[in-house]
Amino acid sequence: MKKWTAILLAVVLVVTMVGCGQTATTEEGMPKIGVTIYKFDDNFMSFVRRAIETAATDKAELILNDSQNAQATQNDQVDVMISKGVKALAINLVDPQAAQTIIDKAKAAELPVVFFNKEPDQAVLNGYDKAWYVGTKSEEAGIIQGEMIASMWQANANWDRNGDGIMQYVLLKGEPGHPDAEARTTFAIQTAVEKGLKVQELELQTGMWDAVKGKELMDAWLAKHGDAIEFVVANNDGMALGAIESLKGNGYFVNDKFMPVVGVDAIPDALQQIKDGFMVGTVLNDAKNQGTAAFELAMNAAMGKDVVEGTSWTLTDKAVRVAYVAVTKDNIAVGEEAYK
Amino acid sequence: MSENQPKSPKSLMERFTKENILKFVVDNAIFFILLALLAVIIAMEPRFVSLKNLTNILTQSSTRVIFALGVGTIIVTKGTDLSLGRQVGLSAVISASLLQSAEYAYRMYPDLPALPIILPIVLVMLITGFVSLLNGVVVAKFKVDPFIATLGMMIIIYGITSIYFDRPPYGAQPIGGLDARFTKFAQGAIEIGVFRLPYLVIYAAIATAIMWVLWNKTKYGKNIFAVGGNREAAVVSGVNVTMVLLMTYTLAGLLYGLGGALEAARIGSATNNTGNMYELDAIAACIVGGLSFSGGIGTISGIVAGVLIFQVIAYGLSFIGINPYIQFIIKGLIIITAVAIDNRKNIKKK
Repeated sequence: MKKWTAILLAVVLVVTMVGCGQTATTEEGMPKIGVTIYKFDDNFMSFVRRAIETAATDKAELILNDSQNAQATQNDQVDVMISKGVKALAINLVDPQAAQTIIDKAKAAELPVVFFNKEPDQAVLNGYDKAWYVGTKSEEAGIIQGEMIASMWQANANWDRNGDGIMQYVLLKGEPGHPDAEARTTFAIQTAVEKGLKVQELELQTGMWDAVKGKELMDAWLAKHGDAIEFVVANNDGMALGAIESLKGNGYFVNDKFMPVVGVDAIPDALQQIKDGFMVGTVLNDAKNQGTAAFELAMNAAMGKDVVEGTSWTLTDKAVRVAYVAVTKDNIAVGEEAYK
Repeated sequence: MSENQPKSPKSLMERFTKENILKFVVDNAIFFILLALLAVIIAMEPRFVSLKNLTNILTQSSTRVIFALGVGTIIVTKGTDLSLGRQVGLSAVISASLLQSAEYAYRMYPDLPALPIILPIVLVMLITGFVSLLNGVVVAKFKVDPFIATLGMMIIIYGITSIYFDRPPYGAQPIGGLDARFTKFAQGAIEIGVFRLPYLVIYAAIATAIMWVLWNKTKYGKNIFAVGGNREAAVVSGVNVTMVLLMTYTLAGLLYGLGGALEAARIGSATNNTGNMYELDAIAACIVGGLSFSGGIGTISGIVAGVLIFQVIAYGLSFIGINPYIQFIIKGLIIITAVAIDNRKNIKKK
């Protein structure tokens, strides 16, 4: 008897939970569009997701999936969405190499598919006439960061603390092998050098995109090099913020002791630090426009129209490139706009 | 070990037999390996030997010691706790969300007045204390293996933390812009001449002292060893095993809660991934520090030593710029070696 009560209770619990977890908004007559996000709790992707939801209001019925950072999960979700009768797929791949598998599934069901944020190989994209991509160019964030570093360094002669005309920097790199980490690392420094800076790399290590690691690495580097460090370059804002915490703990930002720190992403906390003068700049990865573009392309594809019809996007090699924007204290409003 | 040796006092020379020296080296092999590593680090980067690095290592060890003390007590009762890291995350996210600076534009609770910092800290300790009490109930009352019970809890807590974290208006953003009083609470230090004694180290020392008293000077302390060493014997001699387990898990939860709040303040922000996999570091530190997974064996000083050893190595390897992937390999080797040696000692005992 007791056992049955327990089983019944479990069933009721599971059913209610599943009920709560259903995110699809059911409106009759609107096309269904199937969306996967590689990981719901990725802070950047959560904004892309919101932009997609906003763009889809009153236009389409979204089926949103959290792929939980597992490509296998995502593949299963795509199968489910296809069987639910979606008219188009908008896919944020977990693993960029898995694009072909997704395309095969879409092809079999004759569905259009718009990839966004994680870029498939051009050849794979070219292999299916109903596949497109919305995203950024990885190297662009690095180039913009490099330009920012160069112009700021040249404008602030006193940042060259030892007066040797060379910028001694440390670099917090994202996950090694991640296309963004590799491109940002290479192009930030390369661009700064092209803009006429002389640079010397004191340290380069991976902080795995993580604030804790950023802080602990910075602690160690400050202990090792002390005031010899003149610039902190981070592949993302998370690590930059970790480094700033470390710098604060090591007596920076009081009196005249200053350290320029730059990141990428323009997350809210970073914008605040820029406003407060602890961080000099970041690069806005435009979540709002990425999400909007991904939805608009998918929507057009679902209606059988040309994908960029009625939008402000231009298609080059089957891809829409959303631009990165440099954000400093002077144009902080641009960053803040992204969170409104 | 000692029963094998003759009872009569030996001269100093006799003690230094080849066999004894070998035994000493093997029994303490882990420390010799670590000393060797340390020597390599210093040889590659002599600047490693500095007061600044010592303070950094102590500071970075502080929250880790607090976590290890919690899970260490559970290990002594022949348990384990995989939900540690996620409980730390839960505590970090909640405490951070309640202690964002009033000037910060992207607050989770825009209308929340500035709270006394102690309030959210106590609140998160109560929350994780309760969560861990549930772990204890499942382990002690429903006789679920601690590995399974806490594995389940680990996943549940991650779900709860993510729901709490990923909400409008700002979605899954790191919870930052923390109140200066809160960050100072964790990042501040007492200046003694050139030496900075960070508050974090003081908190860790207090937690260690309290746990030492509990382990060594109370009936509860005797009981955890009895429960872990030989549960049947403990039951026969009238120990309330259920009560001991419930207390142990709850105590661990309180420590995770405190450590999680300190972790948020130390880093200056929190996400639902704060604390991810911390349980593995904490458990590994306990094992290297001489705690046995078969229960009933361990010391507080061992736990602290285990954490410090790991942190010295992790910090040292970053300091000399070793590839982080190789750091994983070294860390893994240390854990396996430590347990292998530990087992060797235990086999001998039997």
